[in-house]
Amino acid sequence: MTTLLGWLAALGLVAGLVMGFGVAPREVTQGNVQRIMYVHVPAVWVAYLAFAVGLVASIAYLARRRPGADRLAHAACEVGTVFLGLNIATGAIWGKPTWGTWWTWDARLTSVAVVFVMFLAYLLLRGAIEDRERGARYAAVLGIVAALNIPLVHFSVYWWRTLHQPPSLLKPGSSTMPPVILAALLVNFAALALLGAYFVARRARVLAVEEEALA
Amino acid sequence: MAWKDLVIERRSKETLNALLFFSLALLFVFQFALGPDRERLASALPGLLWLGFILSGVLGLGRAFLVERENDCWEALLLAPGDKSAIYLGKLAGSLVLMTVVETLVLGLFVVFFDVDLGRALPGLLLVIGLGTVGIAAVGTLFAAMTAQVRARELLFPVLLLPVLVPVLLGTVKATEALLLQEPLAAVAHWLKLLAAADVVYLAVGILTFDVILEG
Amino acid sequence: MPDNWGFVAAAYALAAIVLGAYWRMLVRKERELNALRTGAGPGQTGTNGKTGVSNAKAGALRP
Repeated sequence: MTTLLGWLAALGLVAGLVMGFGVAPREVTQGNVQRIMYVHVPAVWVAYLAFAVGLVASIAYLARRRPGADRLAHAACEVGTVFLGLNIATGAIWGKPTWGTWWTWDARLTSVAVVFVMFLAYLLLRGAIEDRERGARYAAVLGIVAALNIPLVHFSVYWWRTLHQPPSLLKPGSSTMPPVILAALLVNFAALALLGAYFVARRARVLAVEEEALA
Repeated sequence: MAWKDLVIERRSKETLNALLFFSLALLFVFQFALGPDRERLASALPGLLWLGFILSGVLGLGRAFLVERENDCWEALLLAPGDKSAIYLGKLAGSLVLMTVVETLVLGLFVVFFDVDLGRALPGLLLVIGLGTVGIAAVGTLFAAMTAQVRARELLFPVLLLPVLVPVLLGTVKATEALLLQEPLAAVAHWLKLLAAADVVYLAVGILTFDVILEG
Repeated sequence: MPDNWGFVAAAYALAAIVLGAYWRMLVRKERELNALRTGAGPGQTGTNGKTGVSNAKAGALRP
């Protein structure tokens, strides 16, 4: 099952690259550097999807105390953090030629950075507790707090950055995108999502084997 | 329970004094860093105020379970009968009182030393401070219990707490800024709603999951 | 605006490196742990195993 996922992910990645470099057109204002978007944006979508899985798994763990749920939560939050870090890094690389700077405190970058640090702290907590059962419980609570906090972070940062028009900002940034570009984005999202799922499955498996090896 | 409260009160006085001196030290640092430039100081004031609040909060909340830890009463907490969320609310209330006292005094010091004109802003300001403090204490009490038994607790507690509190910090600072510029309360309504929503989420999670933390 | 293919390459290369490294870490850890499991299975003290596992655990935080 996991291996199938891996192969699907590989296929998806190829398709994504084809879409991003072959099918998608050269962007009018930015030029070809805009193609970074096809890895940058799907990465954050996959990350947030992973954190959502982590949220559900954490709640499930607290409800039923099944170790499988804990392993899923751990794996999902870790993989999400990796993809989010990738999003930040590719964002910086995209920003340098287009904005002239590696970093700026605009709404999206800032909120992503905050979420990243939150889940880094989650991984730190996991590492700091030796007792497996206690670690699972505490991490589940933190995972829930962190995931529920994501919309709060987004709204607060977005309103912070755009000072005087708060009420209309419930739906930040809805722009019209040419269908080709949207299609390329979605294909790449599917590819990275498959890859993410594959990573989560393998990471959870490693955790399971680790428990057995320790026992 | 009364004895426990008395011990807590005595501990709180130590903490209170320490926090006050800490805030005073911060005040001096702010003055040295920004003093000569009046305009920059004025624009930085909301941020500095809440920096003072949150740093004191981190210090104070980090010690929320110190009594139990130092006196080996942690097991007593775990074995306590009944709903553990009552312990959460009790600790929360204690922290709220402590933080409110510190914040009132710090605000007073700010007004005096930085010549702040509160004007009609005071009621709105009190509301913002109240909402913000509840949020800080709600998460802080939960995380304090979480890190109480962890080895690197002094490091881990602020590392866990501060990123989570970013929305609260942003909301309170921006609302404070607007209110100090004598803007009406309606202008910061969205921030107040955000803070209130955050408070509800944090309190709900705290109440629902505290006994999970206290399982061992 | 110029195309800045260099930056595009850098971004995709970084993605490949990060994701590839994480995948390699997963594969390697699973192999190590399985070896440990089957190795320690036939009744050894497993002190080697302990350090191996804790190294692996530390490794998990650095993908």
